[in-house]
Amino acid sequence: MNTQETGNPFNADVTESLATSTDTFTSPSTVDIQELERQVEYVVDDCFFTVGQVVGMRTTVDYDAVIWWRDHYREKFLAAMMAFGNRWMQDRANVTSVAFMLAERAVRYSEGKSSIDIESARKAAADVERHCELHARRAARRQGRDTSDAAVPRIAGYWCTYP
Amino acid sequence: MTPAQEVDYILNDCFFAVGQAVGTQKSLDFDVIPWWRARYRAFFLHAMSANGNSWLRDRHRVTAVGRFLGQRALHHAGESPSIDLRTAGLASNDVETGCRMSAEREGVSASQA
Repeated sequence: MNTQETGNPFNADVTESLATSTDTFTSPSTVDIQELERQVEYVVDDCFFTVGQVVGMRTTVDYDAVIWWRDHYREKFLAAMMAFGNRWMQDRANVTSVAFMLAERAVRYSEGKSSIDIESARKAAADVERHCELHARRAARRQGRDTSDAAVPRIAGYWCTYP
Repeated sequence: MTPAQEVDYILNDCFFAVGQAVGTQKSLDFDVIPWWRARYRAFFLHAMSANGNSWLRDRHRVTAVGRFLGQRALHHAGESPSIDLRTAGLASNDVETGCRMSAEREGVSASQA
Protein backbone atom coordinates (compact mmCIF):
# COMPACT_ATOMS: atom_id res chain seq x y z
CA MET A 1 0.00 0.00 0.00
CA ASN A 2 1.37 3.34 -0.90
CA THR A 3 2.00 5.56 2.04
CA GLN A 4 4.75 7.66 0.53
CA GLU A 5 4.46 11.01 -1.13
CA THR A 6 6.96 10.62 -3.90
CA GLY A 7 6.50 14.05 -5.44
CA ASN A 8 7.66 12.74 -8.78
CA PRO A 9 6.26 13.70 -12.18
CA PHE A 10 4.24 10.48 -12.37
CA ASN A 11 2.41 11.26 -9.16
CA ALA A 12 -0.93 12.27 -10.63
CA ASP A 13 -3.50 11.82 -7.90
CA VAL A 14 -5.58 9.26 -9.69
CA THR A 15 -6.54 7.21 -6.65
CA GLU A 16 -7.90 9.96 -4.44
CA SER A 17 -11.50 9.15 -5.26
CA LEU A 18 -11.07 5.46 -4.50
CA ALA A 19 -11.36 5.59 -0.72
CA THR A 20 -14.67 7.32 -0.48
CA SER A 21 -17.29 4.79 0.43
CA THR A 22 -19.06 3.81 3.62
CA ASP A 23 -21.55 1.21 4.74
CA THR A 24 -24.27 3.77 4.13
CA PHE A 25 -23.63 3.76 0.40
CA THR A 26 -27.00 4.23 -1.28
CA SER A 27 -28.18 3.40 -4.79
CA PRO A 28 -25.60 4.77 -7.19
CA SER A 29 -26.54 7.38 -9.76
CA THR A 30 -25.58 7.05 -13.42
CA VAL A 31 -22.51 9.16 -12.77
CA ASP A 32 -21.59 6.97 -9.79
CA ILE A 33 -21.99 3.85 -11.91
CA GLN A 34 -19.69 5.25 -14.59
CA GLU A 35 -17.12 6.07 -11.93
CA LEU A 36 -17.39 2.60 -10.36
CA GLU A 37 -17.03 1.03 -13.81
CA ARG A 38 -13.79 2.96 -14.20
CA GLN A 39 -12.55 2.04 -10.73
CA VAL A 40 -13.41 -1.66 -11.02
CA GLU A 41 -10.83 -1.92 -13.79
CA TYR A 42 -8.08 -1.01 -11.31
CA VAL A 43 -9.34 -3.64 -8.89
CA VAL A 44 -9.35 -6.33 -11.60
CA ASP A 45 -5.87 -5.28 -12.75
CA ASP A 46 -4.62 -5.46 -9.18
CA CYS A 47 -5.96 -9.00 -8.83
CA PHE A 48 -4.44 -10.14 -12.14
CA PHE A 49 -1.11 -8.72 -11.01
CA THR A 50 -1.36 -10.63 -7.73
CA VAL A 51 -2.33 -13.90 -9.39
CA GLY A 52 0.64 -13.45 -11.74
CA GLN A 53 2.94 -12.84 -8.77
CA VAL A 54 1.94 -16.12 -7.17
CA VAL A 55 2.00 -18.17 -10.36
CA GLY A 56 5.43 -16.71 -11.08
CA MET A 57 7.44 -18.47 -13.74
CA ARG A 58 6.02 -21.90 -12.91
CA THR A 59 3.60 -21.78 -15.83
CA THR A 60 1.67 -19.37 -18.07
CA VAL A 61 -2.01 -18.68 -18.58
CA ASP A 62 -4.15 -19.20 -21.69
CA TYR A 63 -5.86 -16.12 -23.05
CA ASP A 64 -9.30 -17.70 -22.77
CA ALA A 65 -8.63 -18.28 -19.06
CA VAL A 66 -7.81 -14.57 -18.76
CA ILE A 67 -11.08 -13.73 -20.49
CA TRP A 68 -13.05 -16.06 -18.24
CA TRP A 69 -11.48 -14.75 -15.00
CA ARG A 70 -11.97 -11.15 -16.06
CA ASP A 71 -15.63 -11.59 -17.04
CA HIS A 72 -16.35 -13.57 -13.89
CA TYR A 73 -14.70 -11.31 -11.33
CA ARG A 74 -15.38 -7.96 -12.93
CA GLU A 75 -19.09 -8.68 -12.69
CA LYS A 76 -18.83 -9.74 -9.04
CA PHE A 77 -16.58 -6.87 -8.04
CA LEU A 78 -18.80 -4.32 -9.76
CA ALA A 79 -21.91 -5.75 -8.08
CA ALA A 80 -20.17 -5.53 -4.70
CA MET A 81 -19.07 -1.96 -5.38
CA MET A 82 -22.59 -0.96 -6.48
CA ALA A 83 -23.94 -2.33 -3.22
CA PHE A 84 -21.27 -1.14 -0.78
CA GLY A 85 -19.29 1.52 -2.63
CA ASN A 86 -15.63 1.21 -3.43
CA ARG A 87 -13.94 -0.18 -0.33
CA TRP A 88 -10.92 -1.51 -2.21
CA MET A 89 -8.32 0.43 -0.25
CA GLN A 90 -9.65 -1.03 3.00
CA ASP A 91 -10.17 -4.55 1.66
CA ARG A 92 -7.23 -4.85 -0.72
CA ALA A 93 -5.01 -6.95 1.56
CA ASN A 94 -7.79 -9.42 2.31
CA VAL A 95 -8.89 -9.84 -1.28
CA THR A 96 -5.41 -10.14 -2.75
CA SER A 97 -4.65 -12.82 -0.18
CA VAL A 98 -7.57 -14.73 -1.67
CA ALA A 99 -6.05 -14.13 -5.11
CA PHE A 100 -3.00 -15.99 -3.76
CA MET A 101 -5.25 -18.99 -3.18
CA LEU A 102 -6.80 -18.67 -6.64
CA ALA A 103 -3.35 -18.78 -8.20
CA GLU A 104 -2.20 -21.78 -6.20
CA ARG A 105 -5.35 -23.72 -7.03
CA ALA A 106 -5.02 -22.82 -10.71
CA VAL A 107 -1.41 -24.00 -10.78
CA ARG A 108 -2.45 -27.24 -9.12
CA TYR A 109 -5.31 -27.86 -11.55
CA SER A 110 -3.02 -27.17 -14.49
CA GLU A 111 -0.46 -29.78 -13.46
CA GLY A 112 0.39 -31.92 -16.46
CA LYS A 113 -0.79 -29.20 -18.85
CA SER A 114 1.33 -26.66 -20.67
CA SER A 115 -0.47 -23.70 -19.07
CA ILE A 116 -3.42 -22.64 -16.93
CA ASP A 117 -6.35 -23.32 -19.23
CA ILE A 118 -9.95 -22.21 -18.88
CA GLU A 119 -10.95 -25.43 -17.15
CA SER A 120 -8.26 -24.99 -14.49
CA ALA A 121 -9.23 -21.33 -14.07
CA ARG A 122 -12.89 -22.25 -13.55
CA LYS A 123 -12.12 -25.00 -11.06
CA ALA A 124 -9.78 -22.73 -9.09
CA ALA A 125 -12.44 -20.00 -8.95
CA ALA A 126 -15.04 -22.51 -7.71
CA ASP A 127 -12.69 -23.65 -4.92
CA VAL A 128 -11.94 -20.11 -3.86
CA GLU A 129 -15.57 -19.07 -3.83
CA ARG A 130 -16.51 -22.09 -1.75
CA HIS A 131 -13.80 -21.11 0.71
CA CYS A 132 -14.98 -17.49 0.74
CA GLU A 133 -18.60 -18.47 1.37
CA LEU A 134 -17.67 -20.68 4.29
CA HIS A 135 -15.32 -18.08 5.69
CA ALA A 136 -17.91 -15.33 5.29
CA ARG A 137 -20.53 -17.36 7.11
CA ARG A 138 -18.17 -18.20 9.97
CA ALA A 139 -16.99 -14.60 10.25
CA ALA A 140 -20.52 -13.23 10.22
CA ARG A 141 -21.47 -15.62 13.03
CA ARG A 142 -18.41 -14.63 15.04
CA GLN A 143 -19.21 -10.95 14.62
CA GLY A 144 -22.84 -11.37 15.54
CA ARG A 145 -24.10 -10.96 11.98
CA ASP A 146 -22.02 -8.13 10.62
CA THR A 147 -19.90 -5.16 11.58
CA SER A 148 -21.21 -1.66 11.26
CA ASP A 149 -17.71 -0.20 11.37
CA ALA A 150 -16.87 0.85 7.83
CA ALA A 151 -13.21 1.22 8.73
CA VAL A 152 -12.82 -2.49 9.48
CA PRO A 153 -11.76 -4.37 6.38
CA ARG A 154 -14.50 -6.68 5.21
CA ILE A 155 -13.86 -10.30 4.65
CA ALA A 156 -12.95 -11.16 1.09
CA GLY A 157 -16.17 -13.14 0.69
CA TYR A 158 -18.37 -10.23 -0.23
CA TRP A 159 -16.09 -9.28 -3.12
CA CYS A 160 -16.01 -12.70 -4.74
CA THR A 161 -19.34 -14.16 -3.76
CA TYR A 162 -21.60 -11.12 -4.24
CA PRO A 163 -24.43 -11.14 -5.27
CA MET B 1 -15.44 -7.18 -29.64
CA THR B 2 -14.39 -3.60 -30.26
CA PRO B 3 -10.77 -2.53 -29.62
CA ALA B 4 -11.98 -0.51 -26.61
CA GLN B 5 -13.47 -3.68 -25.10
CA GLU B 6 -10.66 -6.02 -26.11
CA VAL B 7 -7.97 -3.76 -24.70
CA ASP B 8 -9.19 -4.38 -21.14
CA TYR B 9 -8.60 -8.12 -21.54
CA ILE B 10 -5.19 -7.42 -23.01
CA LEU B 11 -4.28 -5.18 -20.09
CA ASN B 12 -5.33 -7.90 -17.63
CA ASP B 13 -3.15 -10.35 -19.52
CA CYS B 14 -0.24 -7.92 -19.25
CA PHE B 15 -0.76 -7.21 -15.54
CA PHE B 16 -0.58 -10.96 -14.99
CA ALA B 17 2.71 -11.11 -16.92
CA VAL B 18 4.23 -8.20 -14.98
CA GLY B 19 3.23 -9.89 -11.72
CA GLN B 20 4.89 -13.12 -12.85
CA ALA B 21 8.24 -11.38 -13.13
CA VAL B 22 7.86 -9.41 -9.91
CA GLY B 23 7.01 -12.49 -7.88
CA THR B 24 6.05 -12.34 -4.23
CA GLN B 25 9.18 -10.65 -2.92
CA LYS B 26 7.75 -7.14 -3.44
CA SER B 27 4.32 -5.59 -3.44
CA LEU B 28 2.93 -3.01 -5.83
CA ASP B 29 1.70 0.39 -4.66
CA PHE B 30 -1.88 0.75 -5.75
CA ASP B 31 -1.35 4.10 -7.44
CA VAL B 32 0.95 2.43 -9.97
CA ILE B 33 -2.00 0.51 -11.38
CA PRO B 34 -4.00 3.49 -12.74
CA TRP B 35 -0.77 4.97 -14.06
CA TRP B 36 0.33 1.85 -15.94
CA ARG B 37 -3.26 1.20 -17.11
CA ALA B 38 -3.73 4.68 -18.55
CA ARG B 39 -0.33 4.61 -20.23
CA TYR B 40 -0.53 1.19 -21.86
CA ARG B 41 -4.25 1.38 -22.66
CA ALA B 42 -3.48 4.41 -24.82
CA PHE B 43 -0.47 2.72 -26.45
CA PHE B 44 -2.36 -0.50 -27.13
CA LEU B 45 -5.43 1.25 -28.52
CA HIS B 46 -3.22 3.27 -30.80
CA ALA B 47 -1.47 0.11 -32.01
CA MET B 48 -4.79 -1.67 -32.50
CA SER B 49 -6.25 1.16 -34.51
CA ALA B 50 -3.09 1.48 -36.62
CA ASN B 51 -2.51 -2.23 -37.23
CA GLY B 52 -5.75 -3.98 -36.36
CA ASN B 53 -6.16 -6.28 -33.42
CA SER B 54 -3.32 -8.76 -33.66
CA TRP B 55 -3.23 -9.72 -29.99
CA LEU B 56 -3.35 -13.48 -30.47
CA ARG B 57 -0.47 -13.21 -32.93
CA ASP B 58 1.55 -10.77 -30.81
CA ARG B 59 0.58 -11.99 -27.34
CA HIS B 60 3.66 -14.12 -26.76
CA ARG B 61 5.99 -11.24 -27.63
CA VAL B 62 4.08 -8.53 -25.75
CA THR B 63 3.65 -10.52 -22.54
CA ALA B 64 7.40 -11.21 -22.66
CA VAL B 65 7.85 -7.44 -22.69
CA GLY B 66 5.42 -7.27 -19.75
CA ARG B 67 7.66 -9.66 -17.84
CA PHE B 68 10.63 -7.47 -18.74
CA LEU B 69 8.73 -4.49 -17.31
CA GLY B 70 8.30 -6.43 -14.08
CA GLN B 71 12.00 -7.29 -13.99
CA ARG B 72 13.00 -3.66 -14.51
CA ALA B 73 10.57 -2.51 -11.82
CA LEU B 74 12.10 -5.05 -9.43
CA HIS B 75 15.56 -3.80 -10.32
CA HIS B 76 14.69 -0.14 -9.79
CA ALA B 77 12.88 -0.89 -6.53
CA GLY B 78 16.19 -2.05 -5.05
CA GLU B 79 15.78 -2.64 -1.33
CA SER B 80 12.37 -1.03 -1.17
CA PRO B 81 9.59 -3.46 -0.16
CA SER B 82 7.26 -2.16 -2.86
CA ILE B 83 7.19 -0.85 -6.40
CA ASP B 84 6.13 2.79 -6.34
CA LEU B 85 5.29 5.29 -9.07
CA ARG B 86 8.87 6.47 -9.47
CA THR B 87 10.10 2.91 -9.91
CA ALA B 88 7.27 2.10 -12.32
CA GLY B 89 8.13 5.18 -14.39
CA LEU B 90 11.78 4.19 -14.60
CA ALA B 91 10.87 0.64 -15.60
CA SER B 92 8.48 1.89 -18.29
CA ASN B 93 11.17 4.17 -19.63
CA ASP B 94 13.62 1.25 -19.88
CA VAL B 95 11.11 -0.97 -21.63
CA GLU B 96 9.88 1.67 -24.05
CA THR B 97 13.44 2.63 -24.96
CA GLY B 98 14.16 -1.04 -25.66
CA CYS B 99 10.99 -1.37 -27.75
CA ARG B 100 11.85 1.72 -29.81
CA MET B 101 15.37 0.44 -30.48
CA SER B 102 14.09 -2.96 -31.41
CA ALA B 103 11.48 -1.45 -33.75
CA GLU B 104 14.12 0.71 -35.42
CA ARG B 105 16.35 -2.32 -35.93
CA GLU B 106 13.49 -4.20 -37.52
CA GLY B 107 12.55 -1.22 -39.67
CA VAL B 108 9.13 -0.88 -38.05
CA SER B 109 7.67 2.59 -37.61
CA ALA B 110 7.07 3.90 -34.09
CA SER B 111 3.31 3.48 -34.47
CA GLN B 112 3.75 -0.23 -35.15
CA ALA B 113 6.27 -0.96 -32.39
